[in-house]
Amino acid sequence: MYKIAALMRAGWLAATSYRFGVVMSFASLIVGVVPVYFVTQALQGQMSTVIAGEGDQFFAFIVVGMSALTIISATLYALPTALQTGTSTGTIEAMLATPTGVPTLLAGLAGYDVMYALLRATVVLVAAAVMGAHLTWDRIGAVIPVLALVILAHIPFGVIAAAMVLAFRTPGPLPQLVFMLSTFLGGVYYPTHVIPGAVRSIADAVPLSYGLRAIRVVLLEGKPLAAVSRELLVLAAFAAGLAIVSALAFQGALRYARKAGTLAQY
Amino acid sequence: MAPAAHVSELTSEVSTAVSLRGLSKAFVKRRGWRDLALRPFHRELVPALQSVSCEIRSGEFFGLLGPNGAGKTTLFKMLATLVTPDDGTAIICGHDVRRDPDRVRKVLAPVIADERSLNWRLTARENMRLYAALNGLRRAEAASRIDELLALVELPEAADRQVAGFSSGMKQRLLVARTLLANPQVLLLDEPTRSLDPLSARAFRRFLRHDVAIRHGCTVLLATHSADEAFDLCDRVGVLHKGRLIAVGATAELAATVAEERYALWTRGDATAALKALAASGAVGRIDPPVDEPNGWVRTELEIPGGDDAAADVVAALNRANVRVARCERLALSLADLLERTLQHFGRPAGAGHV
Repeated sequence: MYKIAALMRAGWLAATSYRFGVVMSFASLIVGVVPVYFVTQALQGQMSTVIAGEGDQFFAFIVVGMSALTIISATLYALPTALQTGTSTGTIEAMLATPTGVPTLLAGLAGYDVMYALLRATVVLVAAAVMGAHLTWDRIGAVIPVLALVILAHIPFGVIAAAMVLAFRTPGPLPQLVFMLSTFLGGVYYPTHVIPGAVRSIADAVPLSYGLRAIRVVLLEGKPLAAVSRELLVLAAFAAGLAIVSALAFQGALRYARKAGTLAQY
Repeated sequence: MAPAAHVSELTSEVSTAVSLRGLSKAFVKRRGWRDLALRPFHRELVPALQSVSCEIRSGEFFGLLGPNGAGKTTLFKMLATLVTPDDGTAIICGHDVRRDPDRVRKVLAPVIADERSLNWRLTARENMRLYAALNGLRRAEAASRIDELLALVELPEAADRQVAGFSSGMKQRLLVARTLLANPQVLLLDEPTRSLDPLSARAFRRFLRHDVAIRHGCTVLLATHSADEAFDLCDRVGVLHKGRLIAVGATAELAATVAEERYALWTRGDATAALKALAASGAVGRIDPPVDEPNGWVRTELEIPGGDDAAADVVAALNRANVRVARCERLALSLADLLERTLQHFGRPAGAGHV
């Protein structure tokens, strides 16, 4: 665990060494919430019945969706990006030559970006709350396990993309595909029940749709976790199944890269 | 010259740090789009290492000499468990790189010479802290070890400065310190002075020899394409050429066999006749055509078997023959010369020739 913490600390120190960049990053998040507030206020009348069951305020609905998307993006892109950068600079070669297990390295490399995304999502939610978003703050503890499952259901896509980077030096189309499907069919901007029949079945295969529904029911409706047990089970099944697939993919890629001699080659 | 197996018998009484037996690796040749389309399932292999066998003793400073593409980096990556061998075995301090890579990584550490493998946004100490953790050192142990190593590489004053502001020499020393955190028994250095200016390179070589090898007691494998660097630093040298280890031997003996015979003479006027007479008596070997230099001096490169004493005799003989000699200088051996001579001496055997 302390190895993961050391990698995350190094990521944090490197990122915060660009002080102006950090300040601007958070400032732009807060500024970005303002137009969302005005647009959602204008659509509140039409959307209030559409989002029923997932909160009563379109502004809070959208802010939760955007925050979740920020976290999903980090889980999808952090690992392949870290591997691509680390391979070109030689840091991956140096790390792989230490007696540190590959899963620990992966967790540490992705850990900082995911934690930073969580921090950014929290800042967006706090800024939204200040602007009047209806969030049930006393349910925030219940959101944590849901969020953990959402992250665990998406990290395997990042691991598969990282395996592609190891073997072929490209993350391939998977992260982009999952991100686009999550954006348009995961319930970020509208609830999935409004999606027409044929496309709806695709939305049912998007893990974020279950995660967002669960988060909104708990955080915006104030209901207990038991109310979203079905969504939690589906997310857990996604996480378990994809974890096995991604572990096999990464092991295969590692074996291939060691055999082909491309492991530490840009 | 002795076969590899013979040498291993001779050295079996002392502790062996690295033992290579028939180590081979071939990579799939990269093909163009057209060739891929025409013959999609065709695979052409390019040998990178061919049946490399060698024993390296504990505490030895061993040089691996060869031109670009000789297979030095491939061999190092195999020893560091980053590339899987196709055939043969590599045993590091008793652990097989294929069967027991985790244990190998605990006793062997490669110095990644690429400066960019440091995190330039962090300080030297923060870089060291990260790798101390990755090497399993706990906080208290790590703190004292980091101080000790930063002092060893003469960077204690720069410890809390961002690496981005370091010179190349400082970064190279930090890379070595980072690797020594693991307290490795075997250290791999792949062309560590390639980005250094001559003065920094000389200081860095001194540091490697005295502080890393002697004081720290590491077995060091140094890959280089500089014959001077190998002869300057190493106890023994292996010459790698097109994936084959064509010679292994004590540096002094190898140098005596293939290196210390070439001299340049500066004479007033052409000394060819006098040199030919010396060649007839066997005092002088091959004589290259003389080259005119400014101010009427003539430079002639020649072989003088027997080293510096024999060269002094040749100069005296030339003086007796009324040839004025301004200078006689032993020539530094280029890698190309070394390879040519090594190939002449040892040919292309299945195993390595041993001096």
